[in-house]
Amino acid sequence: MDGGTAVARVLSVERSYKKEIEKLLMGSGDLFHGEGILAITKALLQSGISYVGGYPGAPMSHLIDVLADASEEILKPMGIHYEQSASEAGAASLLSASITYPIRGAVTWKSVVGTNVASDALSNLASSGVVGGSLIILGDDYGEGSSIMQERTYTFAMKSSIPLIDPRYNLDRMVHLTERAFDLSEACSMPIFLNMRIRACHLTGSFKAKDNKIGTFNANNPVPEQVYDVEKIVLPPATYSHEKAKFETRLPAAQRFALDEKFNELFAGKGQDFGIITQGGTYTVVLRALRRLGMADVYGNSDVPILCLNLVYPLIPQEIMDFLSSKKNVLVIEEGNPNYIESQIAEIAQRNNYNCAIHGKGMLPMAGEYTSNVVREGVAKFLIKVLPEGETSTPGKIEKEILKKAKKSLSQIKEPMPPRPPSFCTGCPERPIMAALKLLMKERGKFHVSMDIGCNLFGSLPPFNVGNTVLGYGLSLASSGAVGPSLGQPNVAIMGDGGFWHNGLTTGVINARWNEYDSVLIILDNGYAAATGQHLLPSTGATPRGVKTLVTIENALKGIGVKWIKYVDSYSLEESKKVIADAMDARGQGLRVVISNNECMLARQRKEKPAKAKALKAGKTVIQEKFGVDEEVCTGDHSCMRLNGCPSLTLKESKDPFKETPVAHVNEGCFACGHCGEVAHAAQLCPSFYKAEAIRNPGKIRKVFSSINQNLLSLMGA
Amino acid sequence: MENLRPICVLVSALGGQGGGVLADWMVEAAKHAGYPAQATSTPGVAQRTGATTYYFELFPEKHTDDPIFTLFPGTGDLDIVAALEPTEAGRALEKGYITDFTTVITGLERVYSTAEKMAAGDGTINEKPMMESIESASSKLIRLNIEELAGSSASKINSVIFGAIVGSGILPLKMEDAEHAIREKGVAVDANINGFEIGFNAAHTGGSPQLEDPDKPFKAPPVHFEKLIHNYPDKLHQVIGHGIARLVDYQDISYAEKYLDKISSVFELDIGPDYILTEDIAKRLALWMSFEDVIRVAQLKTRKGRLNRIRHELNVDENTPIRLTDYFKPGREEFIGILPKSLSWLVPKLKILSRGKGLALHIPTGSFLGFGLLKILSSLRFIRKFSKQYAEEHEQIEVWLDAVKEAVVIDHHLACQTAKLSILSRGYGNVRIEGQNVLTKLFDNWKSKVVLDPEKVLLEVDKTLVLAHANPDVDSTRTKLN
Repeated sequence: MDGGTAVARVLSVERSYKKEIEKLLMGSGDLFHGEGILAITKALLQSGISYVGGYPGAPMSHLIDVLADASEEILKPMGIHYEQSASEAGAASLLSASITYPIRGAVTWKSVVGTNVASDALSNLASSGVVGGSLIILGDDYGEGSSIMQERTYTFAMKSSIPLIDPRYNLDRMVHLTERAFDLSEACSMPIFLNMRIRACHLTGSFKAKDNKIGTFNANNPVPEQVYDVEKIVLPPATYSHEKAKFETRLPAAQRFALDEKFNELFAGKGQDFGIITQGGTYTVVLRALRRLGMADVYGNSDVPILCLNLVYPLIPQEIMDFLSSKKNVLVIEEGNPNYIESQIAEIAQRNNYNCAIHGKGMLPMAGEYTSNVVREGVAKFLIKVLPEGETSTPGKIEKEILKKAKKSLSQIKEPMPPRPPSFCTGCPERPIMAALKLLMKERGKFHVSMDIGCNLFGSLPPFNVGNTVLGYGLSLASSGAVGPSLGQPNVAIMGDGGFWHNGLTTGVINARWNEYDSVLIILDNGYAAATGQHLLPSTGATPRGVKTLVTIENALKGIGVKWIKYVDSYSLEESKKVIADAMDARGQGLRVVISNNECMLARQRKEKPAKAKALKAGKTVIQEKFGVDEEVCTGDHSCMRLNGCPSLTLKESKDPFKETPVAHVNEGCFACGHCGEVAHAAQLCPSFYKAEAIRNPGKIRKVFSSINQNLLSLMGA
Repeated sequence: MENLRPICVLVSALGGQGGGVLADWMVEAAKHAGYPAQATSTPGVAQRTGATTYYFELFPEKHTDDPIFTLFPGTGDLDIVAALEPTEAGRALEKGYITDFTTVITGLERVYSTAEKMAAGDGTINEKPMMESIESASSKLIRLNIEELAGSSASKINSVIFGAIVGSGILPLKMEDAEHAIREKGVAVDANINGFEIGFNAAHTGGSPQLEDPDKPFKAPPVHFEKLIHNYPDKLHQVIGHGIARLVDYQDISYAEKYLDKISSVFELDIGPDYILTEDIAKRLALWMSFEDVIRVAQLKTRKGRLNRIRHELNVDENTPIRLTDYFKPGREEFIGILPKSLSWLVPKLKILSRGKGLALHIPTGSFLGFGLLKILSSLRFIRKFSKQYAEEHEQIEVWLDAVKEAVVIDHHLACQTAKLSILSRGYGNVRIEGQNVLTKLFDNWKSKVVLDPEKVLLEVDKTLVLAHANPDVDSTRTKLN
């Protein structure tokens, strides 16, 4: 069953990146216009890379998707090896090709989570050092729109001595720094981090393209000979010399190169005795604050001296000293915590006995994204402090005016807006599993459910509230290990197919099997890493490049010796409920696995919608279906909503003047997945739901039957 | 310093509403017009129906040095806030993005959040004061009733909003720039250009008026009730008339007369202002007396015109064949409910019919067979008065009415609150049973409790009401009452 459905759902839909590929093929002098992450992708091709890989996740999935599509047209002719790796650790491991060979490569993932997963490989890589330029592009998922815990990637740069670029967000500058990062890597023999914030990945702009550059050695022109160098092996005594080299030669080389190549930018201002040091990624936000406070113009000419750090690790002491030496007050604008940059700058000031006060956290908030308002308020505080006129200075007066306006606006608010977190899509096959768990908990009491990374985690939110903890990608089963015994219940874990292949098989399943845990694992196999935007997985049936290969979850489980494996059609609520209950009750039988393998509804609709529209146009019989609610029957207690949560099941004001609450309503977004009806049955709710199917372009026989039926119905007063 | 600045536009939307495409159009239109511009966004998990924003800046000077664009909107710096859903405009206000410098453009059609949907009562936010807040905080508010302007066009929201953004005249963009952008993007070009023009023109004429509360027509009772109704004050005529019409439809004339008798027993004691107690009782009593048993559901499911209403929902004409599946799951309670108590032994004691379970039926109401079956069931109205459920419901109704009447002589407000407790008699199956159990417990020994300590009873009633309207999944007693 598993293999069959997986092969059947291999993307038949064309997700084409034709326009993007045209941009990647631009040559010298062409004007590239597009998103930040595509510009970085183009910069990679202009840098002579020979391999590229990564693990998808917002905000840099686009890079991986576009390159997968560009395989034939761009990558193969250039001899570039491409892979969507099985995890970030796998992607990072690709970089080992640059340890001893003079070939350039780049990998990418979401940070900080991906960097966590990759850090084993990164530590080893950073110890060996590299010969070929190696770039790690980090999609920094921090601040608004983030889906992960809020931490800094900076720590990884420091602990492994990997230079970290945080570029100023101007496409020309970003592309330039990406290209130069490879040179920097070769100059200091270290891999380089390039940090890209969410908004930077998605920002639009333009730059002058260059020709793509083919690496000296690549798949079409291999390195002549393998290289063996025991000094590159991460074993003592080499490890001790690696450590020394990091601080005695590699980082100093990075600092020298970056200084010579002007990675960081000084905007001199008007020679005041105060100034601002900012991360490159926050530069435009600082400039906006200064412009609004009357201290800069729209073109970036600032009265206040600014040192913009595009290379945030390592700092270049000479540059910092030059900036501090003539100043009495400097504001360091550094997003996130701990404030590593501020601390290092303060240390430089102190060691050199500068009479310069270093401000930072305190004027700016300790935690959270440095948005326009946050930075403006901090900069205003700083300017009021350092300008002789203080509060009556221009910035002081403007800031007061802005705050007054803000306060006036906020005072208008009468009622807080309802929260609107992300949730399962309309028709999602994962939703019914959460409903089944909620119903089971009503019947047998609440139990602890360990959740995983991915869409499944939305089950922890209302209306389901069925997930208790989440520990990481593919870690749900492993994280349930001590929960069950502590609570006197079997371990219950939920995992998506993405999590299963990422880490779940080894860390979770094998561990549970080996230790004979009393565990229930519910695998939500929807065919894709859906949360990142339908990325293909080993069990999807094909690689992103379109090569058909299938690794099935069932075979993997059987290979390990898992015997209790049952499939459920998640849209059948009673069935799911029963099978999960059976699995929970099969105590003493080791690991029990329940697999729901209905396809991701978003992916399915991408294929079905155009196909249906085409068939309809061609005059073929098409069934058009949706669910509905009989308003008169609905009593408005909303029990159905509390077990469903579907975006298309919503509310409507009742037409009956006696009904005091809004009634349920199914809107046009419904795909007729059937969950509404299943919930009504399973929880024995009201009989107000119906499924309606219109038969468009009916055949002749059906037309005749329909007309007879219609006449009989009319007789009965329908 | 020279005070040139980019024009700043924030688009607030839900994931999946097409905000990303809208941002792309704006960038392309600016490019076509020759102005430097930048858009940015934070998609990520927001693609799944969560709140999200897109941010756009355009520099209104051509052929200059590169201006510095930034990544985030700032308070007092936004020329336009455009929301594809009204509470997202409200959210922009909460975040401080709307000031008297800002023109707000918003679609009016609500997309309810899970939090609003989960309440057992009406958990939706009050739109009118929200819109008033936005209007008074902003420099101008352009409302767009997109459904009315563009027909049923959920997929067109973003193009109508795009039209209004350009139509507001704040950006130096022309219609041709926008239409070029829509063609260049290549997504549903004709529909989107049509949507754009609708929005463009609507913004020119100041947008749509504020949505009125939907019309809730009262039905008129049979003529011979007119005289009886006139025994009551004018204010109550519509309500009582509607109640009578409902019960005649539900059962028959004599049943409606019974309804009037019950109302009059409360009316005689109602000394409160404006007869609010009698009015509320008239509403609630009619609802309760038309309790939904199998017969009633069959009646509603075979209403004249239902099949065509459903065809309309599917956007097909009256000649298109449809299949219809109604979901019923009657348990033992429901079967016994329509029989006289003495005949309840007729229903077998099967496990499948036990409480919480039931016979899962998929009735094909679109076919004459399924329809006919329900029609036969609905014709069993004549046995209703002898049924077990009828007896039980009326017993409960009497207990409730007595409680109201006993309360009204002591405290009018307590009586009004007690009347509202009828909400616990709604729903089906377990929901209904649980609600009625709460009532039974509360009304036990009611009279002496009310006489002894009416304030304590009022507190208890209020608490029960809050719980009945709240989301039963969360403990709202602490948050709402203390």
